[in-house]
Amino acid sequence: MNAELVRVTLFSVTMASLATLVMLPPGVALGWLLARRRFPGRTVVETVVSLPLVLPPVATGLILLRLLGRRGPIGRILDQAGVDVIFTWKAVVVAMAVMGLPLLVRAARAGFEQVDHRFEQIAATLGASPIRVFFSITLPLANRGVMAGSMLGFSRALGEFGATIMIAGALPGTRTLSTAIYSYSQTGRDTAATLLLAVAATIAFVSVFVSNRLGSGHLEQPPSPSDD
Amino acid sequence: MTDTSVILDFAVRRGSFRLDIHEQLQSSAVAIVGPSGAGKTTVLDAIAGLRRPARGKIVVHGRTLFDSDSGIDIPPAGRRVGYVPQDVVLFPHMNVDRNILYGTGRGEPPLFERVLELLEIGSLAGRPIDGLSGGERQRVALARALMSGPDLLLLDEPLAAVDVALRGRILPFIERVRGELGTPVIYVSHAADEIRRIADHVVVLESGRVLRVESVSAPTPA
Amino acid sequence: MSARQFLLSTALLAIAACGEGRHSDPQEVLLVSAAVSLSDVLSVVAAEYERATGVSVVLNLAGSDTLATQLAAGAPADVFVSADRRQMDRVENDGIIAASSRVDLLANQLVVIVPSTRAQPVTGVDDMRSSRIRRIAMGDPDSVPAGVYAKQYLEAAGLWEDVRSKVLPTRDVRAALAVVAAGNAEVGIVYRTDVVRASGVSLAFEIPIDLGPQIRYPAAATVGAGESAATEFLAFLTGDVSRAAFEDAGFIPLSRSLSFRPGPKP
Repeated sequence: MNAELVRVTLFSVTMASLATLVMLPPGVALGWLLARRRFPGRTVVETVVSLPLVLPPVATGLILLRLLGRRGPIGRILDQAGVDVIFTWKAVVVAMAVMGLPLLVRAARAGFEQVDHRFEQIAATLGASPIRVFFSITLPLANRGVMAGSMLGFSRALGEFGATIMIAGALPGTRTLSTAIYSYSQTGRDTAATLLLAVAATIAFVSVFVSNRLGSGHLEQPPSPSDD
Repeated sequence: MTDTSVILDFAVRRGSFRLDIHEQLQSSAVAIVGPSGAGKTTVLDAIAGLRRPARGKIVVHGRTLFDSDSGIDIPPAGRRVGYVPQDVVLFPHMNVDRNILYGTGRGEPPLFERVLELLEIGSLAGRPIDGLSGGERQRVALARALMSGPDLLLLDEPLAAVDVALRGRILPFIERVRGELGTPVIYVSHAADEIRRIADHVVVLESGRVLRVESVSAPTPA
Repeated sequence: MSARQFLLSTALLAIAACGEGRHSDPQEVLLVSAAVSLSDVLSVVAAEYERATGVSVVLNLAGSDTLATQLAAGAPADVFVSADRRQMDRVENDGIIAASSRVDLLANQLVVIVPSTRAQPVTGVDDMRSSRIRRIAMGDPDSVPAGVYAKQYLEAAGLWEDVRSKVLPTRDVRAALAVVAAGNAEVGIVYRTDVVRASGVSLAFEIPIDLGPQIRYPAAATVGAGESAATEFLAFLTGDVSRAAFEDAGFIPLSRSLSFRPGPKP
């Protein structure tokens, strides 16, 4: 039992970490885009990104299954390339990343909105290209929001169940803390389920706690040029 | 003979405020004066490329930075200006050195040590920027602008936030920069007497319009 | 984290994700999607099968509706064991399972349970009408198979209209057990197999099989590469070793004329 507990915990944390890494580039890019640019179809993008937050996770899982299953538009191509996603650890990462992304985008967007344009303008006058301005000025100054968003995305990934079980199944190789708790409680193994529950709750608590400290209060707000 | 022509011929609208300037000068040190709200910062923003005029032309020392008729609009990074804004805008997540060196890698910057010496900020090396005095911040910002190897310096009220006692000490720095490095300058202030020491032409602005342009014959004896 | 670091790590991730192609011989591994209520007994049976044939059985355990949804979208399971005929019908209609391989593997029996301490005396189904019985816990009769069957039985017994207001529908059978164990319901209707491991509840009486609804667990092989291996496994499921395991767990194996002979170990 203990070996299984350790294995499931390690697997879940690894997958959630991977999922967080995976969601970072698109999450930061979308957060920046929504904070800084007006473009046609902006509302559509906002809505699609929010969908996993609004829909029941099982519904999101269903959409992913239809897309990635062997008969689906993306799944078909992957199948031909010999890449398996459904029922493998990759599906776990996908489910976790999709469910965590909206939280990251929200927090990153808030972070970017707080960065004073003036810093970016002056950096540009000093000869920095837009890419350099983003990586040397905008992103570091929005860092708190991005970090907080990552922690939130990570916690969400760790607690993910509905979408995960749909596309990753509940196989020994893809069992996460959440699906294991479900399996154990469904088969009357209440002690095991409670133990896993305690582990999951502890990890979630720690990550949300860290995320809150990063995002506000304890550390100062990002400065503006008018501060002296 | 270097081309010292400065063409500022454009209109900028900002909300209900409108700036109109149509001047052509031969100068390597232009001062822009006027009361608050006259549009002085807007002129600098337009020259730096941070604000786009509806139409017009901006040429500095033979380089066309903006020309709506020809479709020229060089982005700020390509304009090779060193901007020291009124709100200083030092990068809060970098220390003094990294701020000063941010713009290097373009043009021919003066030697780092020379700039530090000129502005007497050698002692600030490696320090974080919070905790710097107002005057120190101004000089760091000036050093940063200089180290980016600009073809033109834009200084927006560099002495406005500085107390009277300190003003007398910073102005010589700017004179020194003008004299030793020879970089052309466009200097904004609402204290007319200060800039007579630096500029050879003064553009007087009020409510978005140029009232007059004066020539400065000789520096006032100290 | 600098820009270079996270671009690098994502690039590595992408490569890792694509690099792992299929390398295992499908005949050596059998993927079985089975209703989660069969978890324990199928683990035992799968282990026996592995010992006998060397084929490794991987169990995917979830609710029958989830499993059917996965199959409909092309999930790569070789065998499907459902707790519900409807779900099996669904995938059969979609052409996902080999209809000729479909068997009714098991049956189950409804039982009435009471809390193990301070329970109301309940000896027959008519007792449910009594005012001493205020709440009857069972799986949601609209969606949970056990609840559907329980309702069927109560209707057949002519009790449904009288007791329906007392019904406490739960998300699944485990919840119904928990509600009764906690004393929040005086009785519950669950499967016999659920009581085997449960604590805090006692069996009040069994609903006779001939009077109760036909609770069936169909099993079938999916169409595709693993079909023959799947069919062999299904044969094993109806053999003596498996039947003994199912009986131990409280299920009623339905005998078939298939006999299983383990093939030579590879």
